[in-house]
Amino acid sequence: MNVNATFFAELIAFCLFIFITYRYLWPSFSNILEARQEEISEGLEAASQSQRKLEEANEESRKLVEDAKSEASSLIAQAGSRGDQIVDEAKTQAIEEQKKIKDSAEADIEQNITKAKEGLREEVAALVIAGAEQILNKEVDESSNKDIVDALIKEL
Amino acid sequence: MAEKNLTENLTPTADYISHHLTNLTYGWCEKSQTWGFAYHQQNIFKETSCKVSEMGFWSFHLDTIFMSTFLGLIFFGFFGLVLMGAKKGVPGKVQNFAEFVFEFISGAVKNNFHGTSKIIGPLAFASCVWILSWNLMDLLPVEMTNFFGANLVNSEGISYVGYFKVLPTADVNAPLALALVVMFFVTYYTIANHGLGGFLKEFINPIELVGYFSKHVALALRLYGNLFAGEMIFILIGIMFGQFLMSFGQTLWFLPGLIMNLVWALFHILIIALQAYIFMMLTIAYINLACAKH
Repeated sequence: MNVNATFFAELIAFCLFIFITYRYLWPSFSNILEARQEEISEGLEAASQSQRKLEEANEESRKLVEDAKSEASSLIAQAGSRGDQIVDEAKTQAIEEQKKIKDSAEADIEQNITKAKEGLREEVAALVIAGAEQILNKEVDESSNKDIVDALIKEL
Repeated sequence: MAEKNLTENLTPTADYISHHLTNLTYGWCEKSQTWGFAYHQQNIFKETSCKVSEMGFWSFHLDTIFMSTFLGLIFFGFFGLVLMGAKKGVPGKVQNFAEFVFEFISGAVKNNFHGTSKIIGPLAFASCVWILSWNLMDLLPVEMTNFFGANLVNSEGISYVGYFKVLPTADVNAPLALALVVMFFVTYYTIANHGLGGFLKEFINPIELVGYFSKHVALALRLYGNLFAGEMIFILIGIMFGQFLMSFGQTLWFLPGLIMNLVWALFHILIIALQAYIFMMLTIAYINLACAKH
């Protein structure tokens, strides 16, 4: 244990290392750590903010979906009623058409019947006249007996 | 023949111990009125050279100065390099380790120092890292660095000290220098916070003066003593099994020596880290005390 001039060398070296630490190491360590601390707190802040934003967005999307749902259901209801209406209209139209067709068919039938009746009447009249001619064996003057024949035809 | 002369008046064991406790010294030799390396045990150049013990105050322990500076450059250089390549984002493993060390020390400063001072952090950091770097050298095998000193010979082929002490903490100069710097800062902060009158008023009772100096000497000697004793145990283990090895010629004796060295080294790791930590904490505590309001 001999104290000698080594002491001074160590003293100088220690002061030098303290100076190096004071001037370079300590400040840059503090800077790095402070910067990281700031970064981390900013990151946490951003995370909580984005969490909040996410919740807001979720809320909004939920609302949008609900709106869309209600709109869709109202649209469906509308479409249903419109469809009913269309079907009703089509039905009434169809009924009208049917009625029209039926009427015209009935009129045709009526016409045909009267035509046929007319034809028959004339044929019957001719037959009656022919029959009467044969019965009377003489030519009946058509014009003189016209009144009788016409009366007959009318009775038919 | 010369080798025999160097060690003739000591028993092998005592020589081994004194050999390992001698620093590689360069200094002023009173007898020859020259600067030069010291000899470990010398009889042949009695008139023209000095033993280590014969050298006065003006001598330098080259091994202590070299090792402490070299280790400081490595350790502080490590932190410097890490900081140069440091990223602000997610740190790598090495940067993480450096930041852990920094946060450990700055945390100790924050928890134990309540004043405002820009120098106390760097002071604590420098002392803790530097002392730790020294103390770690205690784990190197005691015989390993013999090589450096043993090969340092003069023109006649005689080795100077024959040993290179690798552990700066086991040389009392180094811890004393640290303690003096701490004492300077303690005094500075006492005067800065309480005035010169406040500083002098502490010594109204003269016993306080003794306490003031012994506090700082104890700071150095605590560190020195612990590491010196640790080194001593390694040397004793070396002697014990070295003797057996020589007298019995049984290489098997190598094994218990190895085991004992290993056990002591494992236990000593605790002291190595603890003494660096204690020195740092006491430095912080003393300066905190100097800044505290009475």
